[in-house]
Amino acid sequence: MWNKTRSLMLSRILAAAFSAFLVMLAFFVPFIAEWLTEVSDGMGLIGGSLYIPSMIIMYICDALGIWAIVELHILLHNITKEKIFVPQNTACLRGISWACMLAGCAFAVLGLWRFLSIMPAFAAVMFGLVMRVLKNVFEEAVEIKSENDFTI
Amino acid sequence: MMPIIVNLDVMMAKRKISSNELAERVGITAANLSVLKTGKAKAVRFSTLDKICEALDCQPGDILEWEKTE
Repeated sequence: MWNKTRSLMLSRILAAAFSAFLVMLAFFVPFIAEWLTEVSDGMGLIGGSLYIPSMIIMYICDALGIWAIVELHILLHNITKEKIFVPQNTACLRGISWACMLAGCAFAVLGLWRFLSIMPAFAAVMFGLVMRVLKNVFEEAVEIKSENDFTI
Repeated sequence: MMPIIVNLDVMMAKRKISSNELAERVGITAANLSVLKTGKAKAVRFSTLDKICEALDCQPGDILEWEKTE
């Protein structure tokens, strides 16, 4: 039977798998950048090879992804320990939000070489915005819980 | 800083009642009574206030005081 504990376990497994994927990705960035340069066909403001800029952006996004996944691990660990409405979780959501926003900015910069990169940039910024709103809701919930805990 | 001051200590001393005894009479834990006494509480239920007043034979104004802050 599917329950809360199993759902949390699945989230932790997926987060661990994605962490491993992000770490592995760091080793293959030059190859992916080379492949992207070969298959990529589109317009941009700046001409020339896509190899160096895409490699730099991919390293930046990989680092931001690792940052976000570390925050996600902390968040999941706290949820497992039943520490849900704590300020540390709000900080984690803020971190994830900033990581997404910065990744969006990085993709926007890549858009100078290929206009198509604006699409993932838009998606990342949008996701960052959603996370930011969630962070605001969480912040308010932490305050309400604190008031409730200190109501005698 | 909360402008409401809790003078529970003063009233308890006047009535010569210990924290544990008051907590037991009111029906709250000693830890919660400590939160109330140290001014860390953010709100007090009317039911709790009623029991405290009954236990100490006093008015809410004897326990709670409002201080103007700048």
